[in-house]
Amino acid sequence: MQTTSELLSQALWGLGGVLTFLFLFLVVNKATRELRERRAAALRRQLALPILAYVNGRGERLGPLLGHLGRFERSVVEEVLLDNARFLKGTARSRITAACEELGFVPERITQLRHRRWWKRAEAAEKLGTMKSPKAAPELIALMHDGVPEVRMRAARALGQLETRTSIKPLIDALQDPSRWSALRIADIIAGMGNAAADELSESFNTLPIKARVAAVDCLGRAKSQRAPRLLLKLLSDPDRDIRARAAHSLGLIGDPNFTPDLLKCLHDTEWPVRAMAAKALGRLGRPEAVAPLAEALRDQEWWVRINAAEGLKSMGEKGLDALIEALSSEDRFARHAAVATLEGAGVLDRFVEQLASPDEKERETALRFVQKIIAAERTDSLTQSAARHAQEKVREQLSRALKPSEVKP
Amino acid sequence: MNPFRILIADDDSTIRSFLATLLEDRGYEIHEAPDGEQAYRMAGEVQPDLMLLDLIMPFRDGFDVLQDLKRQDATAHIPIIIMSVKNREEEIVKGFDLGAEDYVVKPFSSLELISRMKRILERSRS
Repeated sequence: MQTTSELLSQALWGLGGVLTFLFLFLVVNKATRELRERRAAALRRQLALPILAYVNGRGERLGPLLGHLGRFERSVVEEVLLDNARFLKGTARSRITAACEELGFVPERITQLRHRRWWKRAEAAEKLGTMKSPKAAPELIALMHDGVPEVRMRAARALGQLETRTSIKPLIDALQDPSRWSALRIADIIAGMGNAAADELSESFNTLPIKARVAAVDCLGRAKSQRAPRLLLKLLSDPDRDIRARAAHSLGLIGDPNFTPDLLKCLHDTEWPVRAMAAKALGRLGRPEAVAPLAEALRDQEWWVRINAAEGLKSMGEKGLDALIEALSSEDRFARHAAVATLEGAGVLDRFVEQLASPDEKERETALRFVQKIIAAERTDSLTQSAARHAQEKVREQLSRALKPSEVKP
Repeated sequence: MNPFRILIADDDSTIRSFLATLLEDRGYEIHEAPDGEQAYRMAGEVQPDLMLLDLIMPFRDGFDVLQDLKRQDATAHIPIIIMSVKNREEEIVKGFDLGAEDYVVKPFSSLELISRMKRILERSRS
């Protein structure tokens, strides 16, 4: 029979053996990985020259420039091609797609879309999106029914990158199923696909569930489709307030000044989100006939409408700024405060404060009148700070005299 | 005639390598800077005929480099093309306001870039 000490010794030897094995395994694994990375980097440098020469227009095909490639070399070539695809468009980008098809990367990744591990399927979808080969469209469309949400989303994103007509319909279908898809993310993908996708979205709009419609309206504005304005103008009188608000916002994004009369009507909508978005859109369109209604909207009961109206006026240049300065004397306290905040943000307040030290007497008087209006508007935080800290003594003196002494902080 | 000297300032080595190959093939002399600080220093030392400047770079961003280069007498004349993923109106306007000659949004077309560069270089040589 073995004694306890012999058993203990055997256990320690066993444990030592396991630890040594683990240690050696880790060292060998790390060394192999580093060797592989170094080999890949060297190969990448070596292969980059013919690959980039091809991408930049040399030869009709990449294969003959590279010669025979082993499995490892093929993976490096694919990596180099896709890495360059990130920042290119036009002819060079099309040549990358052609090379991926010619060298068999597209069919390989299509096969990988059926891999039993979900992350392998997701990886294949992502790479096919970057390769931009229309040949992958049918399989990517099929992958939009995958059981794993992440795989479905990568397939949708890849379809968006292909920019083929066949990939538009399944994405619009996805918008119709909010239980399986995030409407916002899908709308984002469609918006990136340009006019053709937005046009089809306009046509299918009435078949979409309400949640998806809101996202779709945003998408129409961002894609700036030619068919969108007619639908968006109609949606300004939709019974749903969110649809009306997003339609107003999208019309502002499209930016046609002819939308001004319709958006001006929205400034009187019963729902404040619609008024707020209309004010923002009118600011983007920048038509002079919107100045007075926006100045009026500074007196809206809702803070969001007032701020958007003020921002809208700010973006309309001198006329808009004049309207904001005018609003400083408004009887309405909200209008005065919105005007002060926006004029501060636009740098107008600072400009007038600087003019308090101007050698030109007229400029000084105008600046002082402006400062007095701000004081009367009861928003003097910025002026109080300038009175205490401005670099020029003359400015500090003028401001301190204009402000009540109690408001000047040391 | 000496080849045109081009300074490529971009922290992405793949983009630098792509542009270097593209331009060397067309006979340009290439210099590369991987960050804003080096871009600023090399512009003074190399005196390139044209600079391709990324906006988002370590140590100093592209706007900062552009502003400082345009303030210095020795570098103010260097035509600069901004190349950036930033594509908002205000960013593009800021680039031109600070003195950039052109603004190219990434992803970009290499043929279009070459054509823009040629136009600027021909104008500066004539």
